[in-house]
Amino acid sequence: MPGAKVEFMRAVRALVLGACGLALTACASAPPSPQALAANDPYEAFNRQRLIFNGKVDRYVVIPTVGIYYFFVGEGGRRGVHNFLGNLSLPTIFVNDMLQGEVSRGGQSAARFIINSSFGLGGLFDPARKLGIYGHGEDFGQTLSVWGVGEGPYIILPFFGPSNPRDAFGLVTDAVIDPTNQIPMKQHIWWSAGREYFTFLDLKGQTYNTIQGIQRSSVDYYASLRSLYRQIRDTEIRNGRASKAEDLPDF
Amino acid sequence: MIKTVLRRNVLALGLVVAGIGLLGATPALAANPAETYVQDNIHKGLDILNNKSLSVEQRRQQFASFLLGLTDMKRIANFTLGQYRRGKDGTPELAAFEAAFQNYAVAVYQSYFAKYAGQTLKVTGSQARSPDDFIVATQLIDPNDRSGQAPLDVDFRVRTDAGKPVVTDFSVAGIWLALEERDQFTSFLGQNNGSIPTLVKHLDDLAKQYRNQ
Repeated sequence: MPGAKVEFMRAVRALVLGACGLALTACASAPPSPQALAANDPYEAFNRQRLIFNGKVDRYVVIPTVGIYYFFVGEGGRRGVHNFLGNLSLPTIFVNDMLQGEVSRGGQSAARFIINSSFGLGGLFDPARKLGIYGHGEDFGQTLSVWGVGEGPYIILPFFGPSNPRDAFGLVTDAVIDPTNQIPMKQHIWWSAGREYFTFLDLKGQTYNTIQGIQRSSVDYYASLRSLYRQIRDTEIRNGRASKAEDLPDF
Repeated sequence: MIKTVLRRNVLALGLVVAGIGLLGATPALAANPAETYVQDNIHKGLDILNNKSLSVEQRRQQFASFLLGLTDMKRIANFTLGQYRRGKDGTPELAAFEAAFQNYAVAVYQSYFAKYAGQTLKVTGSQARSPDDFIVATQLIDPNDRSGQAPLDVDFRVRTDAGKPVVTDFSVAGIWLALEERDQFTSFLGQNNGSIPTLVKHLDDLAKQYRNQ
């Protein structure tokens, strides 16, 4: 157990150091344009390069891998993987629900975890939904926002894509507080890597058509992604509740 | 047994939460003109897209005239230019942009709404931003949906100060389209020395691509 923990913490440290390195490299580049500053995106030039890099990773590594996954694993199997991964994330979602004071949503997460882990055979099936208990997402980035922490400048993380310092910190914190990472096992790093790998495949497979559609229809794909990310995060933070009328701009 | 108990508890919790929600909500006394407008008109657009007796070209034309009657396209076009709109009153490049935006918007929105053909729209409420600026909340309900997913939330921004109500923006699952377009266009213009003719050409190319899909 201590060995596994050390290994895991080393991976988290590498991610944090990588993000710091990125920020330093970005700071060393050319000064931001007035448009970039106005869009709260001072590292825009660097972010655009990072988006191109992520696009290449997607094109040459991720999409072919997703293709192989879709070829060998049928729809039912993929749904099972999706459900299983979703079930694993429920304890973290529950913690964040409670940290935000969302007791009823926390109750839903807990109920989903108990029902799907037992009657859903470890989370492969989703009987909770049949009972009318729907799932929702929650993460520590959202919790920080509810606590009043601002998002900070827009950044593109390598491999992960659109983010900001608050959400990037949330990503690392979620990994640390995830109870499944506390389960003693000899090769924890392989478990974590395998889980992240399949989460990545699942997410990329589900969003492939949408991303392609945005790329085709965009005047500026980078700006479109930035706008969509911010609006989606804002909706998630509000837990889907209607936007405040006064927050919308004048026409 | 556990299932029943859990279900009962969750349902009870849900009722309490719903009750709190009702207490907190501002009661709508009656449907305002914006709500009525959305309820009466949006389904017409969905009907056009769902009408299999029309040819592709007929459907495109009918949807275009429906959309242009429903929205204030000029106002939206001007909004999407952001700070690059300043000082362009009455210029040929602004007129060219408005025309290009209209073509682009019809192509994009048709493609967007076509995904929801066959679904029905239900107005669920509205909030007033000012006496003539409303946000009308609706839900798109798919009668054939077996997934058990919650209906899709679609909000419409409606202005009533132009003689008749007009839609100026809409959001799907919390994403406002005109806002997203403004972010794209101003970024594109920032990368291209603020050249509106370059943006017009780009919009024309995209609209052509959409029509050929």
